[in-house]
Amino acid sequence: MGRARILAQGRVGSPEMAETGRYLYAVTRGVDAAALEGVEALSGGSLELLEHRDLVAVLSTVDLREYGEEGLRDNLEELEWLERVARTHDAVIKAVAGLGPVAPMRLATIFLSDASVRQRLDEWYLALEQVLERVQGRLEWSVKVLSGGAGPEDVADAQDRPTTGAEYLRQKKARLEQRVARDAESQEQAQSIHRALSGRAVAGRLLPAQDPRLTGHQGTMLLNAAYLVEADEGDAFAEAVDASAAMHPELVVDVRGPWPPYSFAMLEQR
Amino acid sequence: MSEGPSPVPSTRPYPGSVGQGGRPQPANLADILERILDKGIIIAGDIQVNLLDIELLTIKIRLMVVSVDKAQEMGIDWWRDDPMLSGRAQRLEQQNRELRDRLEELESGDGSSTDSGAGTRGKS
Repeated sequence: MGRARILAQGRVGSPEMAETGRYLYAVTRGVDAAALEGVEALSGGSLELLEHRDLVAVLSTVDLREYGEEGLRDNLEELEWLERVARTHDAVIKAVAGLGPVAPMRLATIFLSDASVRQRLDEWYLALEQVLERVQGRLEWSVKVLSGGAGPEDVADAQDRPTTGAEYLRQKKARLEQRVARDAESQEQAQSIHRALSGRAVAGRLLPAQDPRLTGHQGTMLLNAAYLVEADEGDAFAEAVDASAAMHPELVVDVRGPWPPYSFAMLEQR
Repeated sequence: MSEGPSPVPSTRPYPGSVGQGGRPQPANLADILERILDKGIIIAGDIQVNLLDIELLTIKIRLMVVSVDKAQEMGIDWWRDDPMLSGRAQRLEQQNRELRDRLEELESGDGSSTDSGAGTRGKS
């Protein structure tokens, strides 16, 4: 009996509080609300702007049953929920990036009140100003360089089969040495592409190579880089990437963009 | 599974690789997550979320993004034992619910009631 009561209580759950939080997407400058009209916010809400000094915070109201600590813990594990939130978050930041400099916040940066948002903007004011200064009028391009996988030598080797065990070992060793040399060469080529592109960008940042088991890419990821490029030089930059790719036909060069300047909108250590 | 080996030796690991023309907007979920989780401005909000586990999270997502067949091919099948991803948790939850309903019925003293379904509650 007592047990049943506990179960029943558990099901009633907490009283309806309908608390809301303020979800912060990005901080920008000199953007007015009209320009963001029609851009969808999370949970079908609408975007709001909160002006603080010369900063503009892009916000919307979210239900804390969904975005509170408990809700997030569960929801972040729900792939569909996460995908929806991630895409909406990214779309808002893209929209803001089209209007002014943008300092994109990490997913799920949520405050309990506007006062709390203002307090945080004050606390990080100088750092945010620096970020906005750095990314003003600039966008990010992503470039990945991959080795094409098996080289031509491997094919050639397969044709002359070893006749003895010693011969087999000798060939195996030679192949290994060839591969090491080829990898070193590819690495050097990737670095030269990075140097060339860095020269055309305001800034470049090397990112960790992605795990092939997770991305499904083939070959070795020799370079995973992000470049901060003047907004009106995007086409020229992409052409430069093409030119680099043409110089190294054995490599696969993947260029994507423009992104909002995510990789260059990071706070310096205080 | 039956993609078959491509006769073209040159691999194009991403649909947007240079040479195929055009530079598609990055719409790949894994790419987006990499940026909105790892980069940008990280300021602690009032809601504390443990994003330390995020690496694991993105790994899970990427595995779900790549086809399940492919992951299995690579011998990755741990989600079978992950209640979050398999249907097991759901089944347990449903069993619990059914048991609770049964208990409630018995508690209400009306032991004679048979399966009455859940249609009576919540109508207004």
